[in-house]
Amino acid sequence: MITGGIPLSDVLLASGALFVIGLVGALLRRNAISIFLSIELMMNAANLTVLGYAAALHNLEGQVVVFLVIAIAAAEAAVGLAIFVALFQHTETIDVNRINLLKW
Amino acid sequence: MTVALGIIPALPLAGFLLCILLGPRLGKSFVTAAGVGSVGLATVAAWTRLIPYLAGTGMPVVERIAPWISAGSFSVDLSLRLDPLSGLMVSFVTFVGFLIHVYSIGYMRHDETDAGYARFFAYMNLFLFAMLTLVLANNFLLMFVGWEGVGLCSYLLIGYYYEKDFAAAAGKKAFVVNRIGDFGFLLGIFAVFSLFGTLDFDGVFTRAAAEPTRFAPGLTVVCLLLFLGAMGKSAQVPLHVWLPDAMAGPTPVSALIHAATMVTAGVYMVTRCNVLFRLAPQAMFVVAVIGGVTAVFAAIIAIAQTDIKRVLAYSTVSQLGYMFLACGVGAYVAGMFHVLTHAFFKACLFLGSGAVIHALGGEQDVRRMGGLAPRLPVTYRTFLVATLALSGIPPLAGFFSKDAILTGVFAVHRPILFAIGLFTAGLTAFYMFRLVSLTFYGEPRMTPEQVNHVHEAPPTMTLPLVVLAFLSMVGGFLGLPEVFGERANRIAAFLAPVLPPVFLPGRAEAGHALPPSTEWLLMGVSVAVAVGGLLLAWKWYAKEGGRPAAKLAASFPAVYALVVDKFRIDELYAVLFVRPFEWLARMLWKVVDVLLIDGVLNAGAFLVELTGDALRFLQTGNVRNYALTFLLGVVALVLIVFGFGGM
Amino acid sequence: MASLTATRLVFDAAAGIAILFAGVMVIHRNPVKSVLALVVSFFALSIGYVLLSAPLIAAVQVIVYAGAILVLFLFVLMLLNVPEEARQTSDRPIHRLLSSAAIVVFAVALLSVLRAYGSTASPPGTGAATAGPADIAAPARLLFSEHLLSFEALSVLLLAALVGAFALARRETHP
Repeated sequence: MITGGIPLSDVLLASGALFVIGLVGALLRRNAISIFLSIELMMNAANLTVLGYAAALHNLEGQVVVFLVIAIAAAEAAVGLAIFVALFQHTETIDVNRINLLKW
Repeated sequence: MTVALGIIPALPLAGFLLCILLGPRLGKSFVTAAGVGSVGLATVAAWTRLIPYLAGTGMPVVERIAPWISAGSFSVDLSLRLDPLSGLMVSFVTFVGFLIHVYSIGYMRHDETDAGYARFFAYMNLFLFAMLTLVLANNFLLMFVGWEGVGLCSYLLIGYYYEKDFAAAAGKKAFVVNRIGDFGFLLGIFAVFSLFGTLDFDGVFTRAAAEPTRFAPGLTVVCLLLFLGAMGKSAQVPLHVWLPDAMAGPTPVSALIHAATMVTAGVYMVTRCNVLFRLAPQAMFVVAVIGGVTAVFAAIIAIAQTDIKRVLAYSTVSQLGYMFLACGVGAYVAGMFHVLTHAFFKACLFLGSGAVIHALGGEQDVRRMGGLAPRLPVTYRTFLVATLALSGIPPLAGFFSKDAILTGVFAVHRPILFAIGLFTAGLTAFYMFRLVSLTFYGEPRMTPEQVNHVHEAPPTMTLPLVVLAFLSMVGGFLGLPEVFGERANRIAAFLAPVLPPVFLPGRAEAGHALPPSTEWLLMGVSVAVAVGGLLLAWKWYAKEGGRPAAKLAASFPAVYALVVDKFRIDELYAVLFVRPFEWLARMLWKVVDVLLIDGVLNAGAFLVELTGDALRFLQTGNVRNYALTFLLGVVALVLIVFGFGGM
Repeated sequence: MASLTATRLVFDAAAGIAILFAGVMVIHRNPVKSVLALVVSFFALSIGYVLLSAPLIAAVQVIVYAGAILVLFLFVLMLLNVPEEARQTSDRPIHRLLSSAAIVVFAVALLSVLRAYGSTASPPGTGAATAGPADIAAPARLLFSEHLLSFEALSVLLLAALVGAFALARRETHP
């Protein structure tokens, strides 16, 4: 489909690629904060998908959704980083491989 | 004003509740008032109802208290029945029960704590409630409720001194042996229902009498089952073993339950079902044979026993045999007459023995008694009167009832049973007078302190003795044989409505009268046998101090040992039944319960533990592993939902 | 094949930059450099959003996401003095193997799904409002009318996050 000239498949391809990259980062990095960054990236990829469809279907509700998602991401980042800070105060490391207190 | 029938059993029930709930706290005087008073009131209530009834026509009165069970075609009500038979039973159950309660005041007062005293009277009252329910019931099921109730109270009262192992064991034995009989009774009730479709006495008996040919074939089995119940409750051979051991209970209990009332419930039940039995001649034959065998068997054992209460216990078993013998030959009136007179003199004997034991501070072995006649005058005289009554000496009560039985046996041409009955009468007189001699005559054989301690019982104990002895003297005149006149046999006339005519085609009803000369002859023979037994016992024990008996025993040591050991029936049962059962119980415990059931459960728990042990390695604590698991799940979902489309 | 309009070209370029710098973010071992790369990526995305007729969102992306969230990340990195990631990996090989396999499968599946659904035509006129070229007021109007509850709830959420973060991160002063 064409919306202002941008085919939907292009948008989807881009967002898909971003998502997979984010996935790679989330799974293969050892730094807790880097993992979190990758998760943010994945959320952005999702945002892009929603906006692509919003534009293609001429539906403004998509934009509202993305707005809310961004706000929620902000809250989540704040709390997540607070957790990391607290964790670091205890363990002096953010290598997730070494944070395994719940191990059997 | 007519007293409702339901009041009569309700009063002892109230007594039970008062004694058991408030007794321990409120003391012995309260318990005496509540426990004895309730029975007294019940006696008054019963007689208030009975006296007008006695003058009436003898039609049965049925009072329906409430509907009870109603399930489809099966319905049973809580209804009570007053007719000549139940009226007769109620009359002496309440009155003799009352006398025994009065006696117990003195007997139980000193030895027991407040709580024990209260418990005793509570159980006695509960017993009377159950017994009255049994007697007044108008259908088989309610009778069975009373039946079980008296069995329970028997257990509770035999095991009254529960701290003594022997008493507790005796209570258990009584209950278990009774249960065997009850099983038969219950099966009999089921059979009655399946045959007749109802459990009401009126319903069953009228239907049976109306269509004898239709019901007669099945009735043999039914009656045998019912009789099994009677055998258990009334201690007939081979289910007699519990009664001698039941002497472990307090003496008033032995008097009330194991002489006068509970054990006669079996006879009552058989008499109540006489319509059914008379349609099943083979069953009646079995009843008569077992009655006769029991009578002589128990009498033989009695002559060698040394515990005063045991002699009386075996005597009771023997006399119960007589009653069933009567029922078995169709002389139901004679059987019930003997129930009545036996209640009087046996209760008197037991209470008297209680007075003796009480005077000797607990001694029960007759070998250590003697010379008590001058020291316990009232006890001695009432005991003697009751002994003469039991032995069948005219004109005391026992003579007339026993004679009625023997005449009945003779009239149906059963010579063997008659001979057994006659022989047993002789034995009865013998062992009873042996007991009297050893207890009351000769030189005292106790310790000197016991001799000093001997004193006559208090009036609360001696008054019932006197009353019962009096009744033993005059009670016989209720049932004079017909040689004395057309209407001499008042009890037969009274009970006639309960014994309706029943005709089995092909069998004539027994009961043709004997010519007067034969009757006189029979009376003479039974008196002669009784007197003979008495004199022999007097000669051997009173005059010669037991030496001839000892010599006889020494000449046949094996036989004597067997008789003293009550023919080792208990030991036989132990080998045949008790030990295999214990083995089975142990097997069920050690193998089935511990090994199998617990084993399965433990194995289950072990399996769970094992699985948990294996699965815990999934908890790596590593967040990325969890994320990876997430992703794998998502991949799987995507592939499932969207398929491999496009790939 | 769709026509190659200028809009499309710019979008493809922006997307390409976004993807490129996202890759940089994932690869770089220095976390600060990762964050900075992600900032660039988000800027590029924001351009893409403008081209998709979502100027409001583009602005919000820059202000909130790149400007606040990632800056917060930087603060935390500085605060914790997070070191570079070591070269030797402490991962167990099975983890890397499985992860890679899963990612590959997922990527392929995703791609095929997106291609399948991306080419479906959809009926015109669906949606709350037509998308004008550069309309900020329209989504805002929606936000304050139909989705007012969500909006207000969002404020509460932010408050909760604020309190939570504060409670979590303060040092335990009392024993």
